[in-house]
Amino acid sequence: MSERILDCTALTKRFGGLAALNALDIHVDRGEVLGLVGPNGSGKTTFFNVITGIYRPTSGVVTFQGRDISGLPPQRVYHSGIARTFQRSRLCLELSIFDNIMIGNHKRLDLGLWNNIFRRSRFEAQYEEGMERAARLLSALNPDLVARMFRPVGDLPMIDRRRIEICRALVGRPSLLLLDEPSAGMTHDETRQLMDEILNMGSYSDGLTIVLIEHEMNVIRRVTDRCVVLNFGQKLFEGVYDDVVANPVVQEAYLGKDVE
Amino acid sequence: MNQPRDFVIPGPVFCIGLAVFAAIYLALFLSSESQAAILVYMAAGGMVLLLNNMSELKPRLSEAIKGNERLCNRLAVAVVLALTAAFHADHYTLFLIGTILLYIVVVLGLNVQLGFTGVINFSCASFFGIGGYTSAMLLSKTSLPPLLALPLGGVCAAVVGSILLLPVLRTSGHYAALVTMAFALLFRIFLEVNDALGGPQGVPVRSMSLAGWDFGSDLVIGDLQMSFYVSYVLLGLVLLCLAFSFVRRIERSWIGLSLDAVRVDETASACFGVDVARWKITAFTIGNFLSGVAGALYAMMLAYISPANFTFGDSLIFLSILLLGGVGNSWGVVMATAVVVLVPEKFQVIQEYRYLIYSALVLLMIVFRPHGILPRKTRIYRPGEAA
Repeated sequence: MSERILDCTALTKRFGGLAALNALDIHVDRGEVLGLVGPNGSGKTTFFNVITGIYRPTSGVVTFQGRDISGLPPQRVYHSGIARTFQRSRLCLELSIFDNIMIGNHKRLDLGLWNNIFRRSRFEAQYEEGMERAARLLSALNPDLVARMFRPVGDLPMIDRRRIEICRALVGRPSLLLLDEPSAGMTHDETRQLMDEILNMGSYSDGLTIVLIEHEMNVIRRVTDRCVVLNFGQKLFEGVYDDVVANPVVQEAYLGKDVE
Repeated sequence: MNQPRDFVIPGPVFCIGLAVFAAIYLALFLSSESQAAILVYMAAGGMVLLLNNMSELKPRLSEAIKGNERLCNRLAVAVVLALTAAFHADHYTLFLIGTILLYIVVVLGLNVQLGFTGVINFSCASFFGIGGYTSAMLLSKTSLPPLLALPLGGVCAAVVGSILLLPVLRTSGHYAALVTMAFALLFRIFLEVNDALGGPQGVPVRSMSLAGWDFGSDLVIGDLQMSFYVSYVLLGLVLLCLAFSFVRRIERSWIGLSLDAVRVDETASACFGVDVARWKITAFTIGNFLSGVAGALYAMMLAYISPANFTFGDSLIFLSILLLGGVGNSWGVVMATAVVVLVPEKFQVIQEYRYLIYSALVLLMIVFRPHGILPRKTRIYRPGEAA
């Protein structure tokens, strides 16, 4: 039996009268790619937001690598080893590629006032290391970007922005990566390319576990080991892709009921 | 085969030429009395800026400046020293130079707050004033060495500023602006009703003295007699250099990166471990400290301060300098301060309408050049690094 890296039990998040997540039990095994699917508004992104600490769960427990992380602020969740990307790519467009990637490396940066301002040699050593790391990640995704490390991200096309978001999430060597709709705003070919790249990145961070929110069912079929289907904040179905698409309850949630 | 070769002026020569040009231009501007001449100089300055923007000189110039950063910093100091030497007996001009230097320190502080971190502060003139009143009180009531009044002025401003931390952290946008505006008004009223601080009439401030060097009387070296303001300009210049390199180093470090991350997207940065509250507090405190230090020296230079020196209107002027110069850009701040202080002082015709003109300028900038005269570039961490 494989080890559970993330385990959520009876996770609930209410916004007033609306239960965005309703007594949700989800677990993720170490090393797997879990697909999270469901109609719009079914609670997929809310699930990410609750895990990463943007929202506090109303009730329920999130255990990550044996530690209870429910209700921790986002900073602490990040330090425990979870990194994410955002649905609406939230990069700092006016900052450079290097800056954006380094934000993801926050846990390794020395943030002391004294060391940053007066002991520049110390800072420079870290800076060299950061450059090396960023260059290694970027060259795995798009080598052209290495030479443009100090250009603003806002100048780049969508696929490169996504790549940089992935670099930002991976540079801190997380154990769990949460990808919120990486295909949004890209063509089919670009999505395919990006997903291949992400799967190859697994070797950068050893034993990377991924939870993927995606509407593009081709992507889900190709990359996931297992899927969880959400609807109205509840788990509708859980299983491998082929079982998911064949399941009448899932079909009903997406397409509606047949007229008898 | 005789290809015409492009004659390339080496970068350092370019920079020295620029500095000489700036020095001569400023000297002419500062020394002229007639309003017509001032108008001509202003028009000429504007034309040069415009031509530079359109010509192919601009990329070369910015290349030269970027490649010779250390040299440019030194040249800027040399320009100020040259102007001080040229006007060594002219009280009024030296006072203007000293004012510009200290205002730059304040706006650099504001730049850390608003430009880097996005923490709005409509009361920086109040923190400037706290520094001023601290030095007034310390020099009259205690026998501490006057130089200590500068850091203590900064510390006082930072400590008083910490009262505002809670509301500033818990609000954002317009509401944070309102909190700091309210503070500016409260500060003014506090000064006016407080007799120990001189009330509305204000208080005299003793002059700076450093190991027997009295800043209050004219300097005489041999046959050469210099205005006492020369001392203040020199000390102000030292202070500015320290503040400038401090702010530069903040910008080019992980701290600068964290501050930017907080400004651009608090939620996303929090998901990558950035401690939003910590950086807002750091930036707010650093900015207020710089304002306080500058205020302490400014009060000594003025020799007499009153609540009217540190009004909400002055805070708006500091903010408009930042907007004009280019939010986040330290060199832009330097240029814009010189313009905003000098133009109304020399071009007396507009003196009465200065607020009107500032507001119009800020509006025009926001519409046509929202990133200021010198827009901020992406961060480089070491001088001269290629973008």
